[in-house]
Amino acid sequence: MAGELVAEQGTDTSTRPVNVLARDVAVSFGSVTALNGFTADIPRGIVGLLGPNGAGKSTFIKASLGLLVPDRGTISVGGMDSQAQSLQIRDIVGYMPESDCLIPSVNAVDLVSYMGMISGMTFRDAMQRSHEMLDFVGIGEERYRPINSYSTGMKQKVKLAQAIVHDPKLLLLDEPTSGMDPQGREEMLSLVKKMATSEKTIIVSSHILQEVERVCDYAVIIDSGKLIRSGAMKNLLAGEEGVRSLTIRGNLTSLSQYVRALEQECQIVEKRDEGGEQITVLIRGCDDGRRVFKLAVENGVQVRSFHPERLDLEEVFLRAFRGGGRDGH
Amino acid sequence: MGINPIEYRPWKGERTAQGLRRYVIARSVLRHKLKSIGVLVLLLLGILFVHATYLVLIVLIPHERLEASEIDAYLGGGAFTTFAMLLAAVVTSDLISEDVSSNSLVLYFSRALKVRDYLAGKAIGALLIMSLLCAIPPVFVATVAMATQSGGDYLYSLGVLGKTALVGALVTVFFVPFGLMISSFTRRKSYAAVGTFMSFFVLAVVAGVFMEYARSWSVISPIHSLSFLFSWVLEGDLPSYVDEAALVLFLASLIIVPAVVVYLKLTRTVVGK
Repeated sequence: MAGELVAEQGTDTSTRPVNVLARDVAVSFGSVTALNGFTADIPRGIVGLLGPNGAGKSTFIKASLGLLVPDRGTISVGGMDSQAQSLQIRDIVGYMPESDCLIPSVNAVDLVSYMGMISGMTFRDAMQRSHEMLDFVGIGEERYRPINSYSTGMKQKVKLAQAIVHDPKLLLLDEPTSGMDPQGREEMLSLVKKMATSEKTIIVSSHILQEVERVCDYAVIIDSGKLIRSGAMKNLLAGEEGVRSLTIRGNLTSLSQYVRALEQECQIVEKRDEGGEQITVLIRGCDDGRRVFKLAVENGVQVRSFHPERLDLEEVFLRAFRGGGRDGH
Repeated sequence: MGINPIEYRPWKGERTAQGLRRYVIARSVLRHKLKSIGVLVLLLLGILFVHATYLVLIVLIPHERLEASEIDAYLGGGAFTTFAMLLAAVVTSDLISEDVSSNSLVLYFSRALKVRDYLAGKAIGALLIMSLLCAIPPVFVATVAMATQSGGDYLYSLGVLGKTALVGALVTVFFVPFGLMISSFTRRKSYAAVGTFMSFFVLAVVAGVFMEYARSWSVISPIHSLSFLFSWVLEGDLPSYVDEAALVLFLASLIIVPAVVVYLKLTRTVVGK
């Protein structure tokens, strides 16, 4: 059911150190409740924070930084309380906002080094590091031009550079590929993956689920201020245990006969018509594939594929919003 | 990404204390403002018309000691306050409005920076610029006057020099909080600059209208009230129609209320709640 915590995270957090812990967090803005009893364990690695607009993602990020005072509940970042130790937390956090937030009149070097100094770097360190990070994100000589002359992709890269200039342990990326062309998105995702090798927790908030699926190894799905699903990506995408996907092709009569015969052998969980002469069925209980193939031969249909159920993140996302999906999965 | 992409490398340096980061902002403001043509022109005109003229006079005219009344006449004439008002309007105009319009407040406050440190950084930067017109030149002029005095009463002159420094400091501080407050109300620096200057100008006009009925209304004119303050600090007396408490209340309210308002407004903007 939507709004209920689907317990899948416990197994993962035991093997990977937990970095951000939210416990029963509630935040409201007047009559609008942005977070409503949000509880999640976010482990180290690249974590996707997913949810529709207004789900509470940005509010959670702000509350984690100590910028918002929750009505109730606690958030711990790296073992520090988000309210009592917000400044210490912000020293180890890098934040790349979704919105356009760069000072337009300055150039990238000045902006990134300035943000480095505000994060506690000396002028010399900040200047050296800003050049390193601008090299890392792929901003060349254009770093000396005012930011208002940059393309959207370049601005995204500068936003990333300012977020990592002080080498944060936790990186919050809000829609990092927003407004970028396909090549730019590839570069950005590649940068995110590279950074993950340096023992960082990277929380990626994005609407583009294919990107999250590609780069993240953990996902947290929020809706209406509550956690509705979380877990390691491989577990989320694995599908339900014992369920197999079978795609068959043939004429309508043969297909109907085959499905009826199949129902005698195993449980049909879901049936999807794919254009009249091809259907995909999800079946449970047919561990012996030979019987499936034998029935296909007997009924004159072709088996186009037969494999354990695999999901994509979009399906996981939709199922989570449908209220736990098929049989609560 | 180039032929040979650069890998991510951790930073191994030591962080500075969190309390020192406001000075990073102050230094940035100072650097930025000292490159601004508008600020440089105002500084130049102010120094030329207010301070340099008096400096020439004081060097040329023989004087026995540094007189408080002379300094009062030099600073309290209105030109000094008007230039200070103009400079404050220009200096503070974009300090917050630019961060609001570019949304860059989020970059500041996602770091270990409190609203009060951010404001302190901006204010210190603005005060340093203001001091170039309001604090340093009067002290310099008074020092020159003392150095060229014919008499030997240096103790008295030193007292006047100290009072001059105090007056300079007060004017330096006076306009900045109000300018910051107006800057936080708008996204356009031109609106902030005009808004700051016009607010003081309107107060002066209102004071002028009501002075027709009672001279004590002159207290609500920033130019008059600062002039009264100079007389009070330098010579120890006020015109009979000026109420001391009203003067202090007016001047203090123009510093404290805007400072509180801008702090609360920014806190609300940052927290969004």
